[in-house]
Amino acid sequence: MRLGDVYFALLGAVTLACGFADLMVTLSGEYCSWWIVEVPGDMFRGGWGGLIVLFAGLFYLSGARNLSEIHQLSKVMMGSVLIWLIAGCDIFARITESIPGGDEGWFNSMEGFLGGCAPPYFPAMLLLPFSLVVIYYIHKVE
Amino acid sequence: MSLTVDERWDLIDRISRETVTVGEYKETLTDVIGEITIKPMTGIPVVIASLYLFWSIFGSFAGFFTDGFFVKFFDQYWLPWWQLHFPDTWEWLYYIVVGDPLADNCLEAFGMLTSGLFVAIGVVLPAIFIFYLMLTLLEDVGYLPRLAVLIDTILHKIGLHGYAIVPTILSLGCNVPGVAATRILETRKERFVMMTLLAIFVPCGAQLGIMQQVIPETMGLVLLYLVIGYFVTGFVLSRIIPGKSPEILMDVPPYQKPLLRNVALKIWMRMREFFTSAIPFVLLGVLMVNVLYLAGFIQWLSSTLSPLFVYWFGVPEATVGPLIAAFLRKDLAVAQLSVIEMTWYQMVTAVVLVSIYFPCLATFIMLLREGWTELLGSLAVLIVVVTVYGGFVHLVGILAGVA
Repeated sequence: MRLGDVYFALLGAVTLACGFADLMVTLSGEYCSWWIVEVPGDMFRGGWGGLIVLFAGLFYLSGARNLSEIHQLSKVMMGSVLIWLIAGCDIFARITESIPGGDEGWFNSMEGFLGGCAPPYFPAMLLLPFSLVVIYYIHKVE
Repeated sequence: MSLTVDERWDLIDRISRETVTVGEYKETLTDVIGEITIKPMTGIPVVIASLYLFWSIFGSFAGFFTDGFFVKFFDQYWLPWWQLHFPDTWEWLYYIVVGDPLADNCLEAFGMLTSGLFVAIGVVLPAIFIFYLMLTLLEDVGYLPRLAVLIDTILHKIGLHGYAIVPTILSLGCNVPGVAATRILETRKERFVMMTLLAIFVPCGAQLGIMQQVIPETMGLVLLYLVIGYFVTGFVLSRIIPGKSPEILMDVPPYQKPLLRNVALKIWMRMREFFTSAIPFVLLGVLMVNVLYLAGFIQWLSSTLSPLFVYWFGVPEATVGPLIAAFLRKDLAVAQLSVIEMTWYQMVTAVVLVSIYFPCLATFIMLLREGWTELLGSLAVLIVVVTVYGGFVHLVGILAGVA
């Protein structure tokens, strides 16, 4: 599990940095967008959500040592659960916002819908695929 | 035959030795996760995340149906149809049923079949549905008892125990089942404190839905005022109300997969309650408010109470009408406030006042069912709290230079 320890330590550091970025951008009150990343600046998603991303990073860092031990793995899993939760909420919000057609009709066009789901994405959505690695370790332990 | 306490324990030990077989226990990941979510250090971040999940899904789902479809349907089709087809032979009847003939949206029309139905179906129904779905999932997964354990220490400061979180969360959907759920608390003191706090400081799903619709930017501040008020008033009440607040033992079940049938059944039962009691109350509320307006009663009350509202609470005189209407439906009162011209802080103060002001009629009836003493006691507390806390919110605004 040595590789897993290093992987989750790195993921924890990146997650922690994303959480900090969310909080810092929220304090500045602006949205910040760069390439495919968008850091939200509102109190709900940036502040509250950023705090949860920060907690996820802390869970990863505290669990990323001796992953074969079930208590350590559970902390890493909790970190992933928090990321799934935030990313899940972000994805759900994007989908629900992209379906209605606004002033142009009841439903959005396919281009409009896909445009609504296109990048830039919030950090938690980008961390989502990397957090799924924990499923492999859960199966390995069980 | 009577046994002493020691003899009883000896007997219990003997019976357990003979009947219970203890096998080897192997800790599973589910057990450890269960443990993590109950310890304060790791459990509190999970509480913060669960509440985020709750409100994020609530906002997205309710916004999807309300803003995406219902607003358009009610404003572009439903309201114009009624304005065009309802006979205007009797002006008063038109005003009660359809509302303001010049209104171009259902929130401002304030007729029974326009605003009444829009609020009940277009705003409250999606909000209540997703609220109960989320609550049922948290309940059936086994998270609510853990939340109760985590929050137990905090709630003890206001004379309650962890399970008081159940009526509080239920009240965020509707105060009526919330008040009914106070029966899980053991002593009269606990039930009284809980009912009073629910009636004053916990906004229902309908009100939350409409707040999300009309004051999304300042809703956080309104909720913050309500949370502070909940704990401060609870703290004071727990010290002045005589009676006991006993400790309890909580059974925390393991995490489990929710059963679709159970979830569906629970939601159906809760939604049925909404259809049979809340929707008629919404329509009745609009009807009565319109009748009171037509009779000139609300205008009279507004002018009588205006010094208190203008100078003590710092809100415009026009907010008195919606506050009177809040007795019938608080959500409608928030909708009415949204069309009154005022500063953002006056809006925050007015919405806080609507929330802490008299419980809505349905809650009032529930309180009455719990007993006259409880009802009168709650009302006495409420009058003091509204006056003091409303003034306090105004004072904070003055000190911050925004009121």
